[in-house]
Amino acid sequence: MASFDGFEYEVIVVGSGAGGGMAAHVLTEAGIKVLLLEAGRDYDPVTETPMFHQNHEAPLRGTSTSEKNFGYFDATVDGGWQVPGEPYLQGPDSRFMWWRARMLGGRTNHWGRLVPRFTAADFKPFSTDGVGTDWPVDYEEIAPWYDKCEALIGVCGDNPGLDDTPSSSEGVLLPPPKPRVMELLLKSACESLGIAAVPMRRAILTEAKDDRQACFWATPCGRGCAIGAAFQTTTSVIPWARQTGNLKIVTNAMVKEVHLDDSGKASGVTFVNRLNREDVRVDAGHIILAASACETARLLLNSKSEAFPNGLANSSGQVGRNLTDSLGAGVSGYIPALRDRPKYNEDGHTGNHLYIPWWDREGQKNGELNFSRGYHFEVGARFGSPGMGIAGAVEGYGKQAKDDIRSNYGTNIGLSLRGEMLVSDDCYCEIDEDTVDQWGIPVLKFHWKWSEQELNQVAHGLEWGRKIIEAMGGVVNNPDRTAEEAIEAGGQIIHEVGTTRMGDDPSTSVCNQWGQTWDVDNLYVMDGGVFVSNPHKNCTITILTLAMRNATRLAEQLTASREL
Amino acid sequence: MSKIYQARISRRESIKRLSAMTAVVMVGGVPVACDTVEPEAPQATGTPPAGHWPGIEPEPITGPGYGTDPIVSAPTVPWSLTLNGTQKDQVAVLSDLICPADERGPSATAVGVPDVIDEWVSAPYAGQQRDREQIVNGLQWLNDEAQLRFGSDFVDLTAEQHTAIVDDIAYRSQYEIAEFERPARFFSRFRRLVFGAYFSSPEGIQDIGYVGNVPIAGDYPGPTDEAMEHIRQVAADLGLPPITEYVNQQ
Repeated sequence: MASFDGFEYEVIVVGSGAGGGMAAHVLTEAGIKVLLLEAGRDYDPVTETPMFHQNHEAPLRGTSTSEKNFGYFDATVDGGWQVPGEPYLQGPDSRFMWWRARMLGGRTNHWGRLVPRFTAADFKPFSTDGVGTDWPVDYEEIAPWYDKCEALIGVCGDNPGLDDTPSSSEGVLLPPPKPRVMELLLKSACESLGIAAVPMRRAILTEAKDDRQACFWATPCGRGCAIGAAFQTTTSVIPWARQTGNLKIVTNAMVKEVHLDDSGKASGVTFVNRLNREDVRVDAGHIILAASACETARLLLNSKSEAFPNGLANSSGQVGRNLTDSLGAGVSGYIPALRDRPKYNEDGHTGNHLYIPWWDREGQKNGELNFSRGYHFEVGARFGSPGMGIAGAVEGYGKQAKDDIRSNYGTNIGLSLRGEMLVSDDCYCEIDEDTVDQWGIPVLKFHWKWSEQELNQVAHGLEWGRKIIEAMGGVVNNPDRTAEEAIEAGGQIIHEVGTTRMGDDPSTSVCNQWGQTWDVDNLYVMDGGVFVSNPHKNCTITILTLAMRNATRLAEQLTASREL
Repeated sequence: MSKIYQARISRRESIKRLSAMTAVVMVGGVPVACDTVEPEAPQATGTPPAGHWPGIEPEPITGPGYGTDPIVSAPTVPWSLTLNGTQKDQVAVLSDLICPADERGPSATAVGVPDVIDEWVSAPYAGQQRDREQIVNGLQWLNDEAQLRFGSDFVDLTAEQHTAIVDDIAYRSQYEIAEFERPARFFSRFRRLVFGAYFSSPEGIQDIGYVGNVPIAGDYPGPTDEAMEHIRQVAADLGLPPITEYVNQQ
């Protein structure tokens, strides 16, 4: 047992987001004492979330600024595309955007809560199409953990039985909300094109669960959720872990180095206390890194020793490599037939009620497509809370212009492509030794390059997006936009993973299938860094599920060794 | 309308800072998402643009913003407002030309739109500062144009005289007319701000018919019968398969 501030503990967890929060929950439930280190400040959604504030109550009507990149009411604290005093760099011809938060719960406080499962093929990409690398686990093994994780966090949705939408076991899912009219029109248009629009799985409680309330169909989830209906670690796993009495949280603790002892074990970490800028050393028998894929890679690369001159647990040279994000691109338009459509409350759970899963695995298998893998479309189309962009492209002035805006309200549709990019040698992060952040910690430099694969996939998506909007009787905005123009920057979809990937071979991977680093057996990674590929299905449910599974194994081992 | 502030911004013909102000909003090497901004006018090299344009260089706003961790449940605006009395009067007149009262809702000034625009152009953020330069110059252009055409300040013109000027700058096709390009781009941006501020006000929300942001117990009610009937007809008119409620497969 190590001790900090009078608290005795066995395990240090670095990071309180999806992976770290879940790991802390599982371990503390098993009676293991955990010291949780979080770089940001303490944060309580119950008291801090602006649940019913409207745009007119915010500066600049809530518009995005350089200080609040997703708008004034977004939950993110001290972060966004930049964290004050903590820069990152870009390699030549590279463009990568890195979203960070400095708060308890990390990015789970504002995420989209979209939780599609990976498929059997997603876990075995090489076996499926001969490209990339298989995961060291398969779907059959992970499926029961998906069930457990979904049942714990609370997921609404459905089992439509498509090949891109693996089913949850009976009784796991909560019912999805009714579709809105635009989504029904989209579904009908998709049917006419031979594809499906189905309920989106979201980590939203549509029925009350434990001490969390059911969604009351208001408040954008990006603000966070005071009633706990939208999953975030700060209203669920972290308070639950606290209630066990086995957790101590230290906030404002920016971890800068993991220490190695003479026996080759990780012995502890040093963090900077952000409030007084002092270094603090804490030791532990087991260390779990869940600081986010890129922060964890940075921490390992900055932890150099004689045994690991290129960074801790990096004998493979893979730390920081294999970095991927989801592909992003958008197609938008408006539906003239919906002008002046009947008004009703379309807030719903404020995300998609229906979305379009990937539909053409078959075509791909038959070699009909010029890219690997696939994408899905998320849908933005509803009567939203009016903001500064409400005028759209209206011209003129006076009553006519005012009436045009009224008539056009609720006629716009946006389809967001979220696709799978391939792991590439061109996409990685490394330490820039010449630049340090305000805590004296060397910073990351990102290298990024899209390949033909990604551009071809986006081109396919643009064509289908136009087709879908046109089938709805819509007029597409910027119909001539090319894939090069439409593709978003690396990192911009905030699904960055892969920098400490797991595998079966210690020479080509950083961790084994349990998130345990090959080089240092009491050092674990439980964030998105362990991903072997980045299927188009948003990463968080799989981060949560793997952390649950791998922390359970660690808990069992620790409990067993204690009983010996 | 009383004119409390008589100060008038001196006209300058210099446009030397315009190109500097076209820099993309970048923070730490990445473009920052802002409210959509009209594309900047391409600047012809060597020849001055046709027509007049004040070329005012507003004092940069250097004060603090709300920071990266404001108390979002109790919002405050930390910066001071900067429009002078003349500008505010012009903003008020122009806002109501753009968004007059009608049978469905009040006017822009009745819901405080000029205050929002003052808050907007006084904010220390790059996007807002770019708008500030465009709007301060646009307002001055309106006054200059009013003087040239009718011998009075813009706010003192008759309704017909206002219309005569605004009709020349209220449409995108006028971007192609050299003398009106910059005023028309200003007007487009200003219109966007006016309607954004109007329809996001409590009265504007009611006007446009947004009925969300209320807690509902139980299941999400979904579309009303009227909305369902309408969308069924839309699908039928488009020749699409009939609208059916999604049936859960669970």
